[in-house]
Amino acid sequence: MSKGHHVRFAERAGARVVAGAIVAFSSASLLVNQAAAQAKPPIKIGFIAPTSGGFAPSGEECILGAKMYFEEIGYEVAGRKIELIVEDEQARPDVGLTKAQKLVERDNVQVLMGVVSSAVALAINEYARDKKVPLILSCDAGANELTIPGPLANPTLVRTSQNGRTPSAAAADFMMKKGWKNIAVLAADYAGGFDTIGGFGAALCKLGGKITQEQYPPITNNDYGPYVTNLDQKADAVAMFLPGGGGLRFIKQFVEMGLKTKLPVMDIYGQAVYEPFLPQLGDSSIGIYSTLHYSSAIKTPANEKFAKAYFERTKHQPSDNAPDGWVGAKAFADAAKAIDGNVEDTARFIDAMKAVKFDSPKGPIALDKYGQVIQSMYVRQVEKVGSDYVNTPVATYPNVDQFWPLSFEEFESYKYRYVDLKGSLTNCGKVLEKK
Amino acid sequence: MIWIIHTLNGVSLGMLLFLLAAGLSLIYGLMKILNLTHGSYYLVGAYIGSTVIEKTGSFALALIVAPLAVALLGVAMERFFLRRFHLDELPQTLLTFGFLFIIADLCLWIWGGDAILLPKPALFSTSIAIGGNFYPTYRLLLIVVGFAVAGVLWWFQEHTRIGAMLRAGVDDAETARALGIDVSLLFTVVFAVGAFLAALGGVLGGPIIGASPGADFDVMLLAFVVVIVGGLGSLRGALVGGLLVGLLDNFGKIFFPEFALFTIFVPMAIILSFRPTGLFGRA
Amino acid sequence: MRRLLLPWALAAIVFVALPYIVPDYYVGLVTKMLIFALFAMSLDLMIGYVGLASLGHAAFFGLGGYTVGLLGLKAHVSEWIALPAGVLVATLGGVLFAFLALRARGSYFLMITLALAQVVWGIAFGWRTLTGGDDGLPGIKRPTFFISLADQTAFYYFVVLLVGLSAIALTMIVRSPFGLALLGIRESETRMRALGFNVWRHQFVAFVFAAAFAGLAGALFVYQNKFVNPAFLHVVMSAEALIMVILGGVGTLLGPAIGAGLIIFLEDFISSQTQRWLLILGIIYVVTTLFAPRGLIGLYRDFVARRSKP
Repeated sequence: MSKGHHVRFAERAGARVVAGAIVAFSSASLLVNQAAAQAKPPIKIGFIAPTSGGFAPSGEECILGAKMYFEEIGYEVAGRKIELIVEDEQARPDVGLTKAQKLVERDNVQVLMGVVSSAVALAINEYARDKKVPLILSCDAGANELTIPGPLANPTLVRTSQNGRTPSAAAADFMMKKGWKNIAVLAADYAGGFDTIGGFGAALCKLGGKITQEQYPPITNNDYGPYVTNLDQKADAVAMFLPGGGGLRFIKQFVEMGLKTKLPVMDIYGQAVYEPFLPQLGDSSIGIYSTLHYSSAIKTPANEKFAKAYFERTKHQPSDNAPDGWVGAKAFADAAKAIDGNVEDTARFIDAMKAVKFDSPKGPIALDKYGQVIQSMYVRQVEKVGSDYVNTPVATYPNVDQFWPLSFEEFESYKYRYVDLKGSLTNCGKVLEKK
Repeated sequence: MIWIIHTLNGVSLGMLLFLLAAGLSLIYGLMKILNLTHGSYYLVGAYIGSTVIEKTGSFALALIVAPLAVALLGVAMERFFLRRFHLDELPQTLLTFGFLFIIADLCLWIWGGDAILLPKPALFSTSIAIGGNFYPTYRLLLIVVGFAVAGVLWWFQEHTRIGAMLRAGVDDAETARALGIDVSLLFTVVFAVGAFLAALGGVLGGPIIGASPGADFDVMLLAFVVVIVGGLGSLRGALVGGLLVGLLDNFGKIFFPEFALFTIFVPMAIILSFRPTGLFGRA
Repeated sequence: MRRLLLPWALAAIVFVALPYIVPDYYVGLVTKMLIFALFAMSLDLMIGYVGLASLGHAAFFGLGGYTVGLLGLKAHVSEWIALPAGVLVATLGGVLFAFLALRARGSYFLMITLALAQVVWGIAFGWRTLTGGDDGLPGIKRPTFFISLADQTAFYYFVVLLVGLSAIALTMIVRSPFGLALLGIRESETRMRALGFNVWRHQFVAFVFAAAFAGLAGALFVYQNKFVNPAFLHVVMSAEALIMVILGGVGTLLGPAIGAGLIIFLEDFISSQTQRWLLILGIIYVVTTLFAPRGLIGLYRDFVARRSKP
C-alpha cells in the first residue's frame, strides 16, 4: 500500500501533520483553498478494512476505490482537508471493534467507513451507535438487518455498497423469465450464505418457482467433489453463493464432471466469476450468469472513465469493491459539502447522507430512509472479448431498493427471516408463511 | 453408480491427504517435532507450482521444481533453527508458529490474496464416462500417484540403508547414534523428504483445493488429523488415516449435511478417546 | 521479602493510577491485556504445572463467554447469577474434556483437545437459533455489581480486581502441596505413581481449575466487547493463548501474563503501523525463541543469575 501525503496507514500519537502544508505552493487557486482549509480543522475518516489474510484483496480494492475519489477532489471538501486513516480489521470481530475504538478515541476520527466482514460490521455497529459516530458501510459487509428497522438498526449507519438479498431477488426474477422454475441451490454455510440464498428462495417462491435441493458446504470447504456429485441433475438450473475461492473450486469440478452442458448456472453476487478468477476459469466460465450491482463492462461514461483509471493503476479490471469504495467516498463528500463540512453534527450529516443523489460507475445512486443504497442490479453473463473474459450485462433492474420487488410492509409480513429458512427452502409454504 | 463416484471422490481426497500427512508423520516419528509449518509447505508448493506453470506451461516441471524448492526451505529451517531445540517441544512450537506467520505473510505479499487454482496437465484434463456420469481423469491420477508414492516410501523404508537407519532412529534415536548412524544427516534427509511430499501435495492438490491465504492453516489441521488418527510416526497409519478421513469427509457431507463441520473432528475425538495413540501409533 | 514486595506495590499503584494517566482507548486495551493474562495463566496451569499442552483451551473461554451472553440476553438473568454460571459451565466443560482427553499424552493430548474444541466451535457456529451462528450475539450489556460497569474505567477496575484475585488464587494453587505434586508429575509420572499419588486425579483437578479460570476470562471478555462470537472459541484463539504462555515462559504464571500483555499490545501497535504486521510478529516469535528459548521470564532469570555470579 502506498503511503501518500494524505493517507497515512495510521497516525502516530502527537505527530500531527499541519493540514495542507503539502499543497500550499502548487498554484494560486489552491492557495485560496489553502487559506480556507487552514481555517477549519481536517475531517478525519477511520477506514476499517482487511489488509491481511484472505479478505485482503476485497479490502485493498475498496480502499483504493475510496482513494481514487478523494484524489479527484484533492482530499478536500467544504474547505476542510480529508485525512484517511486505515486500520486492518483482520476479519476478526473483536479486533474490528478494538480498531474502531482506537480510531474514535485516540485518533479522534469523525467518521468510520469501510468494513468487509459482516461479523465485524455487527461488532462495530453498537459501538458507533453508542458513540454517535457516523458509520458508512462502503465495502462488502452486507448483513441485511443492519439497514432494516429492528434490534440492529442504527440511526448513525448508512450503507452505500450492497446488502445480501437484492442480488438474489434479481437472480430469481431473471431465472423465472428464462423459464427455469426448478432450481438446485448451493450456499456457503454461514450467515451471509443464508441471507443470500434465503432471499433468493423467497423471491423464487413468490414468483411461482421452486427450490428442489439445498446444499450448504462449510465456508472453508476444500473439495467440492461431493457437492457436485450430489447435485440434483433434474433441476432446470443451479443457483449458488459460494464466496472466497469456493465458487471457483465449485465451477471447476462442475465443468469437469460434465454438468455445465446440462445445467445453466446463476452465480448470485458474482463470487465465482469475480474478475480475477475469470482467467483461471478460462473457457469454463463462458455463459455463466451472475447478478451484482456492478460490472466493469457497464457502458456509461462514468464507468468507462473509472474502469480505465482503475486499470491503469492496477493492470486489472475492477470488481464491485473498487466502485463501492468510490461511491462511499463520494457519498460522504457530497453530504459533507451539503452541510458545509460540519460533519460533527451527526444527525444532520446522516440526513445529508440519506439525501445524496449522483451518478456513479455503478449507475445512479440514492439512499432510502433507512440508510440503504438504492441502485441498479445487473444480470451479467461471461463472454470472451478478444483474449479476455468479461461479465457483460444482459439485463438491468434500474434503481431498486433493499426490499424490491416487495414493499417494506410485505417484506415485514413474512413470518421467517431469511437466515432461519436454512433447510426449509424447498417448502414454499413455509417460506411464504405470513406472521 | 453415483456411489462409485462418491467413493472415488473420497479415495482421491484421501490420497492427497496421505501425501500431506506422510511427511508430517515421518518428521514426528524421528524427531518428535510437531511441525506447524507443514501446511505452509503445501501452500508454498502450490504457489511456486502456479508460477512455474504460468511461466513455462509445464505441469511436470512444476511437479519437480516446487517440491525441490520447498525441500530446501525445509532443510534450511531444520539446519539453522529447529536443530538447536532438539526434543524441546515448546520452543519448537513457538518457532514453527513464527514461521507459519512469516511464510503466510510473504505468500500474501508475493502472490496476492485471491484464491488460485492450478491448471491441470493437458493429458489429464479430460473426463471419462462412468455409468452416464463424467468423471475427471485427474482425480484417478491422484489415486494412482498416491499409491505409487506410498509404495516408494514403503520400499525406501524397508529395503534401503537410509530406511533401516530411519527405522532404527524412530525406535530409539540414542541407540541409533551409538550404533554409529549419522543421525544429523538422517534428520536433514527426513525433513527434506517431508517438506518435499507436502509441496508435491500442494502442486497435485492445486487443481482441486488450490492456494489461498488460510489454506496453510486448514491443510495443517487436516494433516494433523490424519496422522493423529493413523498414529504418529507410522507410514501405514498415514495411509489408512488419509483414506479414512477422505472417505469420512466425503460421505459425511452427503449423508449428514447438517454436520458437515464435524465430519472430521468428531470421528477423531471418538478414535482418540478409545485409542489414545491413534490406530497404528505406539505409546 | 521487602525487595519482593516493592515491585508488586509499584505494579498495584500503576494499575490503580492508570485511568488517570492514559486516554480511554488505552484503558480498554489494558483491560483486554489483563483478560488475556488471566486466560494465559489458566493455560499455564496445564502446560507449566502438569506438562500437558492443550490446543483447545479457547473452548472454555468461549463457554464462559457464551453462557454470560445467553443468560443475560435471552434469559434476562441477573449478572450475579450469570457470571458464576459462566464459570460453572466452563468448569463442567473442563470435566467433560478431562474425562475424554486425559488418557492421551503429548501431541495426542494436544490434538484431542483441539478436536473437542473444534466440536464446541462447530456447535457455536452452527446452532443459529441458540448462539446466533457466525453473527454471534450482539447487544450484551455490561453488568452491574453494586455499581454499573458500563463505563470504561469502572469496568477496568472490576477486571483488575477479578484478575488480581484470580492470580492470587492460581499462585496459591501452584504453591500448595497439590501444586507441588503436579510439578512432580510433570517431571516423572511413574515416580509419582510409585510414591502413591493418584496421577490421573491430580491432572483432572488441574484441568478443571484451568477450565474454570479460562471461563472467567471469557466471560469478562464478552462483557468488555458487549458481544460474543464463535471467533472467541476458535482454534486460532487457543493457539494464541499457547503462544502467549510459551513466549512468556511456562510454569511461572507471571511469564504467561506478561506474554499475553505483550502480544496483545504488539498486535494492536504493529498492525496500526504497517500492513505487514503478521510478518513482523512472526519474526518476533522466531527471534524470541532463538534468544529466549525459556521465554521472557527465562531470559530475565538467566540475566539475574549471570549478574549475581561475579
